[in-house]
Amino acid sequence: MRTSEPFRPDWIGLALVVTLSIVIIGPMLVVGLWAFAEQWRYPSLLPQQWGLRFWHQTLARPDVWTALRTSLQLSFVVTLISAAICLPAAYAFARMKFWGRDMFFLSFLSIQAFPRFGLLITIATIFLSLGLVGTFWGVAIIQLVNTLMFMIWIPTAAFQAIDRKLEEAARDVGAGPIRVFWSVTLPQALPAIVAAIMLTFVGTFYETEGAWLIGAPHVRTMPILMISFINNQLVIQLGAVLSVLLWVPSFIFLLAARRYLGPQGLGRGLGG
Amino acid sequence: MSISVAQDRGRGQTGLLLVLLPVALVATLIIWPIVRAVMDTLIVTGPDGASLSFASYRFFFTDAHSMGNLRITIWTTAVSVSILMAIAIPIAIYLRFVTGRTAAVVQALAIFPLFVPSIILAYAFIRVLGPNGMVDLILGSFGLPRIRSPYLTPWGPVIGFVWDNLPLSVVILMAGLSNVTNNAVEAARDVGAGKFAILFHIILPRIWLSILVATSFVVLGLFSAFTFPYLLGPAAPEMMGPFMLRTFGDVMDPVQARTQAVITFLICAVFGWFYVRSIAKNRARREAA
Repeated sequence: MRTSEPFRPDWIGLALVVTLSIVIIGPMLVVGLWAFAEQWRYPSLLPQQWGLRFWHQTLARPDVWTALRTSLQLSFVVTLISAAICLPAAYAFARMKFWGRDMFFLSFLSIQAFPRFGLLITIATIFLSLGLVGTFWGVAIIQLVNTLMFMIWIPTAAFQAIDRKLEEAARDVGAGPIRVFWSVTLPQALPAIVAAIMLTFVGTFYETEGAWLIGAPHVRTMPILMISFINNQLVIQLGAVLSVLLWVPSFIFLLAARRYLGPQGLGRGLGG
Repeated sequence: MSISVAQDRGRGQTGLLLVLLPVALVATLIIWPIVRAVMDTLIVTGPDGASLSFASYRFFFTDAHSMGNLRITIWTTAVSVSILMAIAIPIAIYLRFVTGRTAAVVQALAIFPLFVPSIILAYAFIRVLGPNGMVDLILGSFGLPRIRSPYLTPWGPVIGFVWDNLPLSVVILMAGLSNVTNNAVEAARDVGAGKFAILFHIILPRIWLSILVATSFVVLGLFSAFTFPYLLGPAAPEMMGPFMLRTFGDVMDPVQARTQAVITFLICAVFGWFYVRSIAKNRARREAA
């Protein structure tokens, strides 16, 4: 734990790298192996036969395509609605003064203050009486709730961080308010807005509890299909192939997060 | 009334209008369901009108099955948080004081689980630690006996939670550790403080709030966890997440499901309050800066 001796090998660090690699990357590699294993019988250390047979099998299943379509539809709809109602609100929270502003802003924290599953149960019992259980829109509404906080807090911080002098300069040379917003304000806030939109999209794609609670048995998303693959133990490889496919949106998120949200920023946002 | 005040008021109404929809959503989809859940589980409508009744709560706390599920949830939470902090605090401290390529790799590895959906982790867990999993294969190749698999035991969800919550715990603790200045550590070292003295007198007092925030975050997550206990844990006793789902979906007893939900709210109230307060404080501090 010393910073001043650059030539001393970082033994603690190396030990951490080895341990974390085994524990964190190891399991993912095993999943990768299974996805390309056509035959892997105990006690062989590696698959006896490699190939893409189970990729064809997985991609030929209609339930996989239905679930993928449902998940994508839900993610698009929820993200779109969330952006449409939250981004203007974020701008208002950042720039305008109005009655109850701070109280309303903090009210979005209430989503974080309760164990989420209990919250979903209380919503679900109300949806039950409204006939929303088992419907696409029931799932979409419950997933929308999850997105509100990030979709408001991240863009609000971005709008607040914008340099007002640039806007004033644009106004001085004769730009109207809408022109200023489009050409000066929005481009500066855009990276954070894109990050919030991606977080929302990917978060909705993987959302499991709400979709299960409200959607079952009619609305089946990818994570729910995956749960049934794991539980029914159909063919081990199907789960592996689906895992690799499911990881793609997560990978996009990884790239976005790396670009727009450093670990420190993430930690502060989470209350560290 | 001057023009600017009138303009201000106009802007004020626009602002209120712009935030109206999301605020209304919070009110109808968070606040209202919670209020309804509390009211409907406490008020029973009989032939002679509505009256206050604790019957559904009395049922929960006298029902052995329900209490067993609550106990396993508390046990899992306590064990997971302890293990998580025992791992995350040393990693965060390491990352705070060491720079260089190795440290960057450690950070990337510690953050990595953030980008693995829990459903994929659950699958990977079974393939690695389940019966005939990778660990069994490796042990077998050395002629060693198989492990007693944690799959479908209370330890299954614990391992899943620790793996899954490591990144955010490390990240929250690192944010707290940025309050520990190099000067403070060097000053302590100059007067002869050892590593443990520095840890207990300089570092821990400055990050205990972050430890509490990370703990609250994890506790709130575990009390509403579903995927890991459902896929990796035992069928009975089960954690509150799967229990609530079953009560709602299979047993079709919304009143009891709501009672269970309200009980998780009450147990987590302290953590929820603390977590939200620290986020709000952080925000206020950043705005002031």
